[in-house]
Amino acid sequence: MQLIDPTGTSSERRLARAAPLDKLDGAVIGLLNNNKVNADVLLRETAALFEARHGCSVIEMRHKMNASAPAPSDKIEDLAAHADFLITAMGD
Amino acid sequence: MNTTAHRHEVPDDPLGAIDYCFDQGWTDGLPVVPPEAGRVAAMLAFEGRPPETVIAEHPATGLRLTVESLAANAVMAGCKPEYLPVLVAAFEAMNEPDFNFHGSCASTGGSAPLLIVSGPAVEELGLNSGVNLFGPGNRANATIGRAVRLALLNVFKMIPGISDKSTQGHPGKFSFCIGERADRSPWPRLCEALDYPEGVSSVTVYAGAGFVNLENHGANTPEMLCDSFADGMANYGCISKGETVLVVSPEHAKIIGDAGWSREQTQAYLFERARRTVGQLQAIGKYHQREHERGQKLGADDAEHIHRGLTPDDILIVVGGGDAGGHSAFIPSWSRTRGSLRQSKPIGVCLDC
Repeated sequence: MQLIDPTGTSSERRLARAAPLDKLDGAVIGLLNNNKVNADVLLRETAALFEARHGCSVIEMRHKMNASAPAPSDKIEDLAAHADFLITAMGD
Repeated sequence: MNTTAHRHEVPDDPLGAIDYCFDQGWTDGLPVVPPEAGRVAAMLAFEGRPPETVIAEHPATGLRLTVESLAANAVMAGCKPEYLPVLVAAFEAMNEPDFNFHGSCASTGGSAPLLIVSGPAVEELGLNSGVNLFGPGNRANATIGRAVRLALLNVFKMIPGISDKSTQGHPGKFSFCIGERADRSPWPRLCEALDYPEGVSSVTVYAGAGFVNLENHGANTPEMLCDSFADGMANYGCISKGETVLVVSPEHAKIIGDAGWSREQTQAYLFERARRTVGQLQAIGKYHQREHERGQKLGADDAEHIHRGLTPDDILIVVGGGDAGGHSAFIPSWSRTRGSLRQSKPIGVCLDC
C-alpha cells in the first residue's frame, strides 16, 4: 500500500541572520510596537537603557495594526532604512 | 499525475496503516483513514487544477498547502471526494490576509475556523443544517471540519503546545462545520446576501471561540428575543470589538421573521443593545483607552458605551438547528481586538478567472 504524505511542502525561502553590529555606541534604534497594551511602555523603557548606556538615539516608534499578524514588508523595509537595529516586543 | 508529495510504502494491512499514521504524528488524536494513493487520486478528481497547486501559504514560515496535501488530509479525515471543493474554498478564504489564520490558530485565545456552508451544496453534499447542528452524527459536517484541522496540524504545523498555544481550546478544534438552514430562514441565504450568482454555493470561514448557548423559551417578540441575544453577545467574558456569528434556531427565527424584521434590521437592533458602558468595562479591567479610541476612529460609538463590534454588519446572522427548542448560539470571535475577520468564497467556481 502506498500512502501520500499529508505534510505538504515548504517554499524555498532562504533566511539568514543579519551581520552583528560592530558596536552599539551611537547606534540608531528602531522600535516596532505590536500594539498590545503596555508594549509601548516596555519598548520605551528598554530603549532608554540603550540611550543611557550607549548613547543610542531612537527614531519614531512604528506600530503594527494587528499584534498577531506579520508586520507589512514596507514597514520593515522603512525601519531597516532608518535604524541600525530594531527592538520589538509585546506587552500585555 | 504531476505529484510532489512524498510517498510511503507500507504493508497491505489497513489496521497496520492506521497505526503507521499514528506513528508518523499525522492524527488529531483519533484514528484516521490512511491516505492511500488511490483514494487521494479519487479526491483530486474533484479539483480541476494540478495537484501541486498552492492554495494557502503560511506567511511566517512559508509552509504551503497544495491541493494534493489537502486531498490527503481530507482522505484521512474520512471525507468523500465530492467534499474537496468545500475545503479548497475554505482554505482560499483562510488565506486572505484579513483572516490571519496564523494568529487565530496560534493564539492563547484558542479559536477554531468555523465553516458555514450556504446554498445548494448543503443538500448536495448532505451537510447537516438541522437537529444537533454542532453535534455528531453527520459525515459531511464531521469530516469536512476535521479535514481543516488535520491540514492545520500536518501542513501548517499548528501543533498544540508548540505553535498552537491555546490556553484551553474548545471542542470545535476537532471539527467545526455547519450548513445554513434555508428552509426555515426568513432571510435570503448567505450565498445570496454575498451576491454570488444563482446556484453558486459559498463557504464562510470565521475564527470562532467557544460556543455560547442562547436559551429563551419564553420570548414571543423579536425585541424580547434579541434583548436576550444581545445580553449574551455583550457578556463580560466575551465583549470585544470583534465580529459575531449568531446561529438562530428555527423557533427563534420564526418569531423574528413573523414580525417582518429583515436581517439588517435585526443586526441593527442587536448592535445597538450589545454594549457595555466604559465604567462597567473599567470595573472589570477590560477597558483600554487606546484600543477603544482606535476603534472609534473606525466607527465605534462614543466613550459612554462600547458596543460589541464596530458596526451592525459585524454581526453575521444565519439560521440553523432543529425544529424544536428555543436554543440559538452565539459564537464569539477570536481576539480582543479585530485580529481576524471572516472571509467567504464561492465553492467549486472561480468568479474572477
